[in-house]
Amino acid sequence: MKKLWLAAVVLFCWASGSYAEDFLNVSGKLHLRGVVPLHSESVMEYPSLLGQLKVDTKPSPLRFHMWLEGGWDGSVTLPVEDHSTLKFGDRVYQSTTPFLEFKELYGSYSTDWLEVRAGIQRFAWGRLDEYPVNDLLNPWDYSQFLRKPLEDRKIGVPSLSTRLSHDTWSLDAVWVPVFIPYRLPLSTERWSPLNQMVSRFNNLPVNFLTSDADIPSRNLASGAGGLRLSKTGVVDWSVNLFHGYDPRPVLKATRLIIAPVAGQVAVEPGAVADFHKMSSFGLDAAFVKGPWSLRAEAAYAVGRYFNTNLERWGYPAVPAFGVYPLAPNEHKSDSLDYGIGTDYRVFEDCLLTMQAQQTVILDRPDSLYQQKFETIFWANLRNGFLNQRIITNLNAAYNPEHGGVMARGNVSYVLSDYWKVGVTAVGFWGPEQSLFGRYKTNDQVEVDLVFSW
Amino acid sequence: MFLIHYTQNNIPSGLFGRACRPGRNSSRGKSRKKFIPEGFCPMTDKRILLLLLAAFLLVPALADAMSGREIFEKMHEVRLRMLNQKTEATMVLYDRGGGKRIRTLTQYSKNAAPEAYKVLLIFNSPADLKNVGFLAHARTFSDRSLWAYFPEFKRIRRIPTSAQDDSFFGSDFSYDDFSGPPNLDDYAFKVLREETVDDRPCYVVEVSPKIPRKYSKYITWVVKNLWITAKVEFYREKELYRLGAFRDIRLVDGLPTPFTLEMQNVKSGHRTVVTVNKVSYRTSFPDELFTQRALERGGR
Repeated sequence: MKKLWLAAVVLFCWASGSYAEDFLNVSGKLHLRGVVPLHSESVMEYPSLLGQLKVDTKPSPLRFHMWLEGGWDGSVTLPVEDHSTLKFGDRVYQSTTPFLEFKELYGSYSTDWLEVRAGIQRFAWGRLDEYPVNDLLNPWDYSQFLRKPLEDRKIGVPSLSTRLSHDTWSLDAVWVPVFIPYRLPLSTERWSPLNQMVSRFNNLPVNFLTSDADIPSRNLASGAGGLRLSKTGVVDWSVNLFHGYDPRPVLKATRLIIAPVAGQVAVEPGAVADFHKMSSFGLDAAFVKGPWSLRAEAAYAVGRYFNTNLERWGYPAVPAFGVYPLAPNEHKSDSLDYGIGTDYRVFEDCLLTMQAQQTVILDRPDSLYQQKFETIFWANLRNGFLNQRIITNLNAAYNPEHGGVMARGNVSYVLSDYWKVGVTAVGFWGPEQSLFGRYKTNDQVEVDLVFSW
Repeated sequence: MFLIHYTQNNIPSGLFGRACRPGRNSSRGKSRKKFIPEGFCPMTDKRILLLLLAAFLLVPALADAMSGREIFEKMHEVRLRMLNQKTEATMVLYDRGGGKRIRTLTQYSKNAAPEAYKVLLIFNSPADLKNVGFLAHARTFSDRSLWAYFPEFKRIRRIPTSAQDDSFFGSDFSYDDFSGPPNLDDYAFKVLREETVDDRPCYVVEVSPKIPRKYSKYITWVVKNLWITAKVEFYREKELYRLGAFRDIRLVDGLPTPFTLEMQNVKSGHRTVVTVNKVSYRTSFPDELFTQRALERGGR
């Protein structure tokens, strides 16, 4: 079946080349990326070559859209042999390289007041940057979390969506009939939250294993759905409803296994991706006030799960060969997420974006690592030079409850209509369990060369 | 033009050179007796005739001296007739070193009475700008909402009107240049002189915003009888900042349309040339084309 899919894609690409000008819009991108780690003890990342192909049929009531990505992902250190090249969103640890993935693949029918889409889709609900709290329909790929922009993290979901529009009102309804899990890095990969622990064993014959998650059965009962009612005007606002599996990861502790295997030490950390259904009700709005473009968002979630502090999981202080049952490490609580963001034009071609958002864990026990109020402040200063031939971004995020910080600086230069080159430096600080601190050995410089057509 | 000459006694003698004596013929020249009827005062009535003649000839000349506001009202009328349109254009950005970047775009606009107008602009190329769009809803000519859509982020962003004079996606044009006709009450106008540009007689009008804007004044060359801009200079304080030229003016559906629009940043030496590939007027696009949904779909 999967080979048939691949053959269909190849045939389609060949056909689109022949008929492109007649009824197709074809565009694409090739992205070569190299990483220079700033900590010698951190997990290695090899250069990546990623490609993107987008195909759209010319405007008509019936349309087809495809967004295919693939290539060699240098952050994957151990390709898992029994996973197929074509990712189908059916595994949590889908570490393969080379890979192919449909980010989007759908057909749509539209009239003046109705649009229906069916296929693999990505949605963009909510209005905040980086962590929009109402944007829950797509699970994320956390295998390069924090490094990838928001839309690149999203995994396309097979879904049916409808939009009804009338005047300044619109109603979106989405049904995702099949469960698609979030994607996590292997514990040995650079962006694994356990990478600091793993990297301590770099020079030792230790093999970290990862247990596949127990994924909910792929039937209608494990689907998800959402409704979004929107109005545009002086204030653009929306009301959102979501019910389905929480796309944010939480790990269930099972048992730690340390055993000798073929001259090496095999370690299974016993942290397995877990999934829980939840419901969320949220609001978001955007408006302009003087030189400020403002947006705000809030969501109340019922039935979320949070992990307890890692120190309470039951890992032995002195590990030795054996099997160690771990303590229950999940806690259920409702939560309230809210945030406000703004764009401020400092001067021409200089835009300051600021955002503050907070998660309130309403029934928080002391066993959780997260505080009752978890806050992230985020700011980005974007500057264009030489008529936006050079773009710089200076970005910082701060989590005051744990003192975690992420800072990123990027310069990109447009060589021509087709070529762009960029350099990015990113650094992390904070305690080992915190959102940013867990990646503090991942400070790095990235170099990107992009060809688009 | 008739000049009225005064005698030494300060009596107007007019063209005929004689003082007026009501009811009396001139004593000079028998021939005059034949032609001047009794009771007719040659000088008074001649003056009136002269005045009437002068008025008849002067009124068109006076009418020709339009105020700056009137000139821009004429331009506004023409722009209103152009509001229902679709334009496909190529925008080329030239930097000082000779490098260039090429974009293609499609703009739709609609007269949205009883409100003002709506504009949707979508970039078709290059690849990194494809489907990036800009939407403007003008409730009045001064009260607008602006949005930009970035497909890379799948997000629509509201743009504050304070940014309307900023560079439009890296070009030397501004958002305001693509946002439709302005509110004339926001400006003061002053006719400076008349000049010829590209063999077309023009009014040269100085335009000063009454509210703080990026440019403290514009000097516009308005083509007479076509009521469109041939040339414009943008000043910040007294310094020339941007130069615009609008050439290759053709009549499309009776509406004068420049097919080449050039804007140059005098400071940086960067310039942008927009070439209109195709324009259609008297279109009737549905309101649904000027929505955020259409902005996300690339205008389709």
